[in-house]
Amino acid sequence: MKQQASRIAGIRQRLRRISVFDGQDLKKAILIGAAWLEEHREAINALNVFPVPDGDTGSNMSATMQAAIRDIIHSTETSASVIAEKIAHGALLGARGNSGVILSQALRGLAQGLDKKQTFSATDLANALQEASRLAYRAVLKPIEGTILTVVRETAEAASKSAERGDDLVGLIQEAVIAARQAVASTPELLPTLKQAGVVDSGGQGFCTILEGVWRYVRGETGTLPPPSVSSSSGEAAVKKGRITVDEEFGYEVVFLLRGTNLDVDAIRQMIIDMGGVSTVVAGDEKMLKVHTHTLTPGKILDYGVSLGSLLDINIENLQEQSLTYAAESQAEHAGETSAVTGDSATVAVVSGAGLEKVFRGLGVNAIVAGGQTMNPSIEEVLAAVNTVSANKVIILPNNGNVILSARQVAALTNKEVYVVPSDTMPQGIAALLSFNFEADFAANCQAMTQAIEHVQTAEITTAVRSVQVGAVDVREGNYIGLINGKLTVAGQNMDHVINDTLQRMELENYEVVTLYYGENVTAAQAQERVHHIKQQYSHLEIEVVDGGQAYYPYIISAE
Amino acid sequence: MAVRIVTDSTADIPLAQAQALGITIVPLTVFFGEQAFLDGVELDNAGFYRKLQESKALPRTSQPPPAALQEAYKNLISEGADGILSIHLSSKLSGTYQSACTARDTLSESRIPIAILDSCSISVGMSQAIMHAAQEAKQGVGLEEIKVHVLDELSRTHVLAVLDTLEFLKRGGRIGSAQAMLGSMLNVKPILAIKDGGAAPLERPRTRGKAYARVAQLVSEMGEIESLCIAEASQEVGQQLAQAIREVYKGDIPFYKLGAVLGTHTGPGTAAVAVVTAQ
Repeated sequence: MKQQASRIAGIRQRLRRISVFDGQDLKKAILIGAAWLEEHREAINALNVFPVPDGDTGSNMSATMQAAIRDIIHSTETSASVIAEKIAHGALLGARGNSGVILSQALRGLAQGLDKKQTFSATDLANALQEASRLAYRAVLKPIEGTILTVVRETAEAASKSAERGDDLVGLIQEAVIAARQAVASTPELLPTLKQAGVVDSGGQGFCTILEGVWRYVRGETGTLPPPSVSSSSGEAAVKKGRITVDEEFGYEVVFLLRGTNLDVDAIRQMIIDMGGVSTVVAGDEKMLKVHTHTLTPGKILDYGVSLGSLLDINIENLQEQSLTYAAESQAEHAGETSAVTGDSATVAVVSGAGLEKVFRGLGVNAIVAGGQTMNPSIEEVLAAVNTVSANKVIILPNNGNVILSARQVAALTNKEVYVVPSDTMPQGIAALLSFNFEADFAANCQAMTQAIEHVQTAEITTAVRSVQVGAVDVREGNYIGLINGKLTVAGQNMDHVINDTLQRMELENYEVVTLYYGENVTAAQAQERVHHIKQQYSHLEIEVVDGGQAYYPYIISAE
Repeated sequence: MAVRIVTDSTADIPLAQAQALGITIVPLTVFFGEQAFLDGVELDNAGFYRKLQESKALPRTSQPPPAALQEAYKNLISEGADGILSIHLSSKLSGTYQSACTARDTLSESRIPIAILDSCSISVGMSQAIMHAAQEAKQGVGLEEIKVHVLDELSRTHVLAVLDTLEFLKRGGRIGSAQAMLGSMLNVKPILAIKDGGAAPLERPRTRGKAYARVAQLVSEMGEIESLCIAEASQEVGQQLAQAIREVYKGDIPFYKLGAVLGTHTGPGTAAVAVVTAQ
């Protein structure tokens, strides 16, 4: 296969003609799309504009894609519509972060577009991509251009034009990739924050990367590939042949030594992959080799091994069972901890940090989903918590801007009545929970809790994970940074100065109570000293110190 | 003669006012360590909170013994009462109601009707109805009629209290569903209501200012108000609560001091409002 440059023009070439795809084609294309995204996860994470250690787009989108392919990996289904439906369902449950939710909605649109289709043509795919674009836009309350939305839409538009011209699937997907790359490249022109940070939109890049993976399948390529257009991907490891990364806790882990004669390592590896082996490693020589793979059908792999020679040191572990057991245990643990519901409604909060968990439990939250900063929970995890609590009306506190959208998706997945209080920060969630009225009904509590988050100011102190210019603030990697209500306001090398500046900008003189939640790497004594300093400057304040135990954020400070 | 009214010290009716209305008050007991004080008799509001700060030992409270109530009934009978209405704090909060029932049931020489009422409330939550009962009794209204009126007024009386801390509730025990608030790791100014005879948690503002404003809002949502009064642990908090309530209620606001028994369970810094809504 000819090596291709990554330049946009470079991929415009004539390949074999393909007029229809069936379910297996769709499955393989999406599997490779997911694998390609996973390969470039870190590069996409690096596109984050914000220097805070937050749930990264690459990780969130890749986790969403891994969930999307969960149910199709071993499917022999040939109906495109059935495969697309499984993809959409998996993505919806596994969606993490805002970009993950939008991606899941795009995949939902794709499935709707391919509804009842055994196979699909270029025109069908173009229509399905239009549907994907429509649903992606509908996923957010206020669509913003220069994001993944723009990329999905322009991709769909290019696909439609291609189909009208009479292109086949190869031609259409090629045009789609070209359009996606151009759209990604133009995102900084649409969104000033991107331009200022000198990056393209990470969610748009993620979508484009998936398309590039699909494009690889269409080209029949499994070997060397043009590097994706991710700017910082130059140092990426070469793509491993045929490798699809899935959740490690999947199926059975099969490890054995195979002794024989004239063993063909490459052929055996390919055979095991073809038999459904995932994350397959086959290493050794013609007399002895080691096989390590993940599969749903270990018997088949072992039978194959026996047909080649003699098996030694066979070790099979049921990862799925372990994983399920773990999940069940952790769920049971959680169920035990869920507090009794008073009144008609229950509360579910997304919380990170052992101390903050205690605070939420102390305030009577009925269930907690671990996560928040750096680790955004999937829709499925939030859904599980909602279904665990005994009440039929559930109020969710996402406590993170990147979780609100996921939380909102839960409403469509449960019979329970769900309301999401749009809490951006932990203190907002706490303020909302504090205003929960034990005697009031669901509607009144939803209203009161939503109002409550407007009366609390949050400052977060953390360390910049990358150098970037945000507004008038020049941030160097490793700097301490202060955010007020999620907005980066102060940066500097000295934590004391950063905290002081941040507090000053919060105009503490107008508030009565300040609560200092200190993180996992701060001692109680350090926190007390901090309080002493604040008290010296703002003597009128009542200051409370709470061991929050949160990661990455030495201090979260709220003012009421 | 007439019907006579008996209550206990947790009604927080000032002694002078009780005397003027002919109300007999049977005190509960507050213990600081081994020292026992008769609530409102040997220990007034200011004395109690002073002691609360000075004493290392935490106070405990105890219901009046049946004998004390029996003696009160006997005195009234010998004074010629032709009926007694004995109204007490919620049986969910104290054994006083039980003591009163025992006192009546073991009173051998009783020739007059004695009715014991569980107010399902406390302090200003029952004092308004008790004082109205005393006025009716003076006017010669019969026991059954007074009882009906008291029950009606109690059913229209709503109590909201703002506490400065949850500490005293935690120590005290008998707080019913307010238990739900106790796990809080944050310092909150809880708003409690009296509901079904017990303390019920409502909301947990972080600051007193917000708590008072919220109570005022809740008061404004109660509909037409017949009367309203405040019970205060200190004048300071009573005035703060009144200031917030005056935003929504233009009528007269009488103030009462929260006694030692309730103070033991709610702590200093507590202010409560009792609202009697119109019929």
